[in-house]
Amino acid sequence: MTIRHGLLALLTQGPRYGYQLRAEFEASTGATWPLNIGQVYTTLSRMERDGLVAPGEQDDQGRVVYAITEKGRAELDRWFATPVAQADRPRDELVIKLAMAITAPGVDVARVVQAQRSATMRTLQELTRAKRGAAIAQRLVLDSMIFQAEAEQRWLAHCEAVLAASPKEGT
Amino acid sequence: MTPHDPDSDTAAAVVVARLIEVSRVHGEGAGAVHALKGVSLDVAAGELVAVMGPSGSGKSTLLNLAGGLDRPTSGTVQVEGVELGELSAAGLAALRRRSVGYVFQDLNLIPSLTAVENVMLPRELDGVRTARARKEALAVLEEVGAGDLADRFPEEMSGGQRQRVAIARALVGERRLLLADEPTGAVDTLIGDEILKLLRGRADAGAAVLVVTHEPRYAAWADRVVFLKDGEIVDSAETGLVSAR
Repeated sequence: MTIRHGLLALLTQGPRYGYQLRAEFEASTGATWPLNIGQVYTTLSRMERDGLVAPGEQDDQGRVVYAITEKGRAELDRWFATPVAQADRPRDELVIKLAMAITAPGVDVARVVQAQRSATMRTLQELTRAKRGAAIAQRLVLDSMIFQAEAEQRWLAHCEAVLAASPKEGT
Repeated sequence: MTPHDPDSDTAAAVVVARLIEVSRVHGEGAGAVHALKGVSLDVAAGELVAVMGPSGSGKSTLLNLAGGLDRPTSGTVQVEGVELGELSAAGLAALRRRSVGYVFQDLNLIPSLTAVENVMLPRELDGVRTARARKEALAVLEEVGAGDLADRFPEEMSGGQRQRVAIARALVGERRLLLADEPTGAVDTLIGDEILKLLRGRADAGAAVLVVTHEPRYAAWADRVVFLKDGEIVDSAETGLVSAR
């Protein structure tokens, strides 16, 4: 994805300045996806090139309001209607680390697993804390991250069980 | 893990439940099962502690010992400063009724009693008059968002509603130690979150809460998560912030 679709969605509420888009984008994602203002303006100028947004007049401070175009609305509709493909995640360092810990001699794999479980649990605790009192959009964003962290916890517990039940390889 | 340093027990953190080097062995000789091996754990007022671990790790044993439902083979258990091993059977029963609230996965409301009658029960057993017990029960049901269920029988409620009522029963009478064993059972995640929110609220209101769960998402509501493995505490995770008390 796509910052551009996020910005298009915000523009359906009416024309916005770049700095407004940045603030609203962060607010609706629960500050889990910080944007810098440069990304916002770069994205806006590419969308202008592609006809998805149209700039208005400059105000006396040189700021420009952007509005969504018909083409932009069509693109946004298409986006909402398209399921997200299981993205090619960048290779997961944790998975590699565990595989290597098992392969390399003399590594206490159980300790590697437990250290990760504690760290991920702290993340889960922080996410859960942030969820208290969150507005619904933020809450669902946080819930998504909670489910992901939970999946990692489950996988780690599974690793622990598999390792405990298996004779050590390579020793 | 919280060390048992008396100097570190500030007024802000009154220890409600304390386990010191607690072990529990089932059976004898070669067939003996060491369910818990020298576990020490403090749960302070205002604190929510979660115990995680695979099945057979000793989670439920730990909870039962903390609540005086089982006695340790060695080590000591204290609740509100009282050493459980020194209590008579009657004294222990009284402490269980008055100081400790229990929520279990399948603990089971009495089917022939309405919600409010279920919640009144422990208070009536403790000698509180019916009218007062009823008033207290209704107040607690209201508090857990189950005020409208007061006159329903368990079979007329959903799983989540029954669990709310069970929690109300565990809370009634201002008990300062709350023990919950897999309180989310098989409910869906939205209801599960609601149940943990309730327990969290009780901790924030000053109760000491100990929750056993195998679900990370629910453990994450705790101030401190203790990992139990083969009867021993192997690690713990604590939130960076001390909860606002």
